[in-house]
Amino acid sequence: MTEARRWWTRRRIGLAVAIAATVAIVGTLGYFWYASLVPATYSVMDMGFVDAGGGPGGGAHNHGGTSVSDLKGPEGTPAVAVTLTARSQSFALASGEKVRGFTLNNSSPGPTIQLTEGDLLEVTLVNESVDEGITLHWHGVDVPNAEDGVPGVTQDAVPKRGRYVYRFRAEHPGTYWYHSHQVSHDQVKGGLFGALVILPKTAPQPAATAATDLVAPVHTYEGRRTIAGRTGVQRVDASPGSQVRVRFVDTDSGTIRVSVTGAPYRLVAIDARDVHGPTDVTDRAVRIAAGGRSDLAITTPPDGSAVRLDVGAGAALVIGRAGAAAPPARDLDATLDPLAYGSPAPIGFATDSPDRRFEMRLGRRAAFLDGRPGLWWTINGKLFPDVPMYVVREGDIVLMTISNSSGQVHPMHLHGHHAVVLSRNGTAASGSPWWTDSLDVDDGDTYVIAFRAENPGIWMDHCHNLPHAADGMVTHLAYEGVTTPYVVGGRSDNEPE
Amino acid sequence: MRATYVWLSRLIALGVVLQAAFIAFGTFDVFRTVDDGKAFTGEYDDYNAGQALHSIFGTFIIPLLALILLIISFFARIPGGVRFAAIVFGLVVVQFLLALLSFATPWVGLLHGINAFALAAVAGFAGRQATRAPTTAPSTPGASGASDAEATAAS
Repeated sequence: MTEARRWWTRRRIGLAVAIAATVAIVGTLGYFWYASLVPATYSVMDMGFVDAGGGPGGGAHNHGGTSVSDLKGPEGTPAVAVTLTARSQSFALASGEKVRGFTLNNSSPGPTIQLTEGDLLEVTLVNESVDEGITLHWHGVDVPNAEDGVPGVTQDAVPKRGRYVYRFRAEHPGTYWYHSHQVSHDQVKGGLFGALVILPKTAPQPAATAATDLVAPVHTYEGRRTIAGRTGVQRVDASPGSQVRVRFVDTDSGTIRVSVTGAPYRLVAIDARDVHGPTDVTDRAVRIAAGGRSDLAITTPPDGSAVRLDVGAGAALVIGRAGAAAPPARDLDATLDPLAYGSPAPIGFATDSPDRRFEMRLGRRAAFLDGRPGLWWTINGKLFPDVPMYVVREGDIVLMTISNSSGQVHPMHLHGHHAVVLSRNGTAASGSPWWTDSLDVDDGDTYVIAFRAENPGIWMDHCHNLPHAADGMVTHLAYEGVTTPYVVGGRSDNEPE
Repeated sequence: MRATYVWLSRLIALGVVLQAAFIAFGTFDVFRTVDDGKAFTGEYDDYNAGQALHSIFGTFIIPLLALILLIISFFARIPGGVRFAAIVFGLVVVQFLLALLSFATPWVGLLHGINAFALAAVAGFAGRQATRAPTTAPSTPGASGASDAEATAAS
C-alpha cells in the first residue's frame, strides 16, 4: 500500500466517523424534537399514561360512557342570576391607574358574586370582544363537571359574540373566585376574574357596618399589586372592638404573604373550608398559594388604634377608627404552618386502606417541549403530554403523594374536589384538618393528601402558576365511565392550560 | 470548514458576553421596576426583557451554536478541534445544570457566572487555536501543508 493510498484510506475512515457522529447527534436530537411535538388538536382522553393507582380500570384509555356535557348543574329557578360580559380593553383600576387587559362588566376584578348556602346560581357569560375566546372556571367550588369551565375538556371556549350559561348550587360556605380558563396565563393576568363568596345559611348576615366582611382579591396588574382592584394603602373604617373577617384571594401566579400588624389574627378558613379551633397569631405571616384563599379574622383594638394587613409591594388594608394612625408595615419571615394550626377534628373518612394511591413527582430538566428547547417541568419524570391520567371510580378513597424536586414552588390545584393534607415530609398533620384545593408544594417537599372521589367527571389537576400550566404542568383526574366530546385545539381553539 | 469553526467559536464567546450584559440589564431593570413600586409575581420573565433574552440565548441560541461547532469540528480536521468543541459543548451542559440548581439554591448562581467565563475562554481559545494550527493531515502526499480547501477539492 502506498503512502498516498494509506493517507486516503485514513481520510475516508475519518470522514465516515465524522458523518456517523453527526448522524448520531442530529438524529438523536431530531428524534427528541419530533417526539416532543404535540398535535394541534387532541382529546385529553388520549393523553399520557393511564394510572389506576392500584385500583381497577388501568391500562387503556377510557372511551364511551357518560359524556361530561351530561354532568350539568341542577334545573330550576335560580336564586341569583348574573350576566357577566367580558371585554378586551384598556381600563382604569379602581385607584385610577390605566392598564391594558380584560374586564367583566367593565371592571376588573369582575363583580363579586355573593350567595347564601343552598342558592342556585345562574351566570350568563357573554364574550363581547375577547378574540381568543373565554370560559369561566369556579375556582374551589366543587361544581358538576359540565360547569367547570375548562375549554377542550368540559366545554368549548366561548367565541367572540358567543354566550354560555353556568348553573350550580352554592353548597359549601366560604371564599372562592372565578376566572377564565382559556389562555389563562394571559387572561387571568389581564384581569378576567372576580370573587365569589358563599355565606352560611344559619350564621348572621354581615351587619350593616361595612367593615365586618371584606372580600380582598389580591392581583398584580402590570406590576401594580392591588387589593380588590386598588393599589396602595386602603383605609377601612371600623369602630374599636369590631370583629372583621378579611377574605384574601391570591389571583396571581405567585405565592403572597399577608402580614398583620396592630392586633393578633386568627386564620379561620383555608380554601373555603373552616379551620377547626383557630388560635391567635401575632408573630407569623400567612402564606397563600396562587389560586388559594385565606380568611383572616381580627378584632380592632379597643383603644381605637388601627390594624394593618399587608400583602406586599405596597398594597395594604388599614382597618380601624377613621383617622387612626396606620401602624408601620412589617414583613415577617416566619409563616404560619397550617399543618400544626388549630385543633384536630374528624375528616369524615378513613385513609388507612385507600382504594387508589397516586404519585405526582414534579421535576425539571433540559428537553424539548412541543419542539421548543428549554428547561421544562416534568411530571413523574416525563414532559407534557406524556403525563399521568389518574383514574378513579366514584366512591374511592384516594391518596396522592406530591413531591417536588424542580427547584421552584408549584401551587397544585385539583378541580372539583377538596383534599385534606395528611402529612408533609413524613410529619403527620397535627392541627385542624387542612382542606385545600390550591396547595403550595415547595421545592424539596413531599405532601400526602387524601380525598374522596365523589364528583364524577374529567377534572384538571394542574399548577396554578399559570405560565407553568401553559408549559405543560397539567394532568387530569378521570372517573371511570366518563368521557369528553371536546378536544383541545379544534375549531374553538381551546387552550385549557 | 475551518473558517466556520473559527467564527462559530467566536460567536459563542460573544454570546457569553451578551449573556452577562443581559443579566446585568435584567438586574438593574428589577431595581428600577421595584423603585417604581411595581411587584414581580410568578410571571417574572414577562416584565423583564433582560431575563427573557438571557433565557432565549441560554436555552436555545448558545446551545445550538455549540452543537453546530461540535459537528463542524468532526469535518474541519483542526488539531485539537474536536476536543475543544467537545469541551465547549460540555461546559454548555454544565451551565444548564448549574442554572437548574440555582433556582432552588441561588448561591449556585455564582458558579453559573464563573462557568460562563470558562465557557467564553475555551470558546475563544478554540478559535485562536484553529487559526494557528496546521491541518491534521499527517503527511500529505505531494504538497505538504495543503490548505483545507485544496484537500477537500482534491477529494
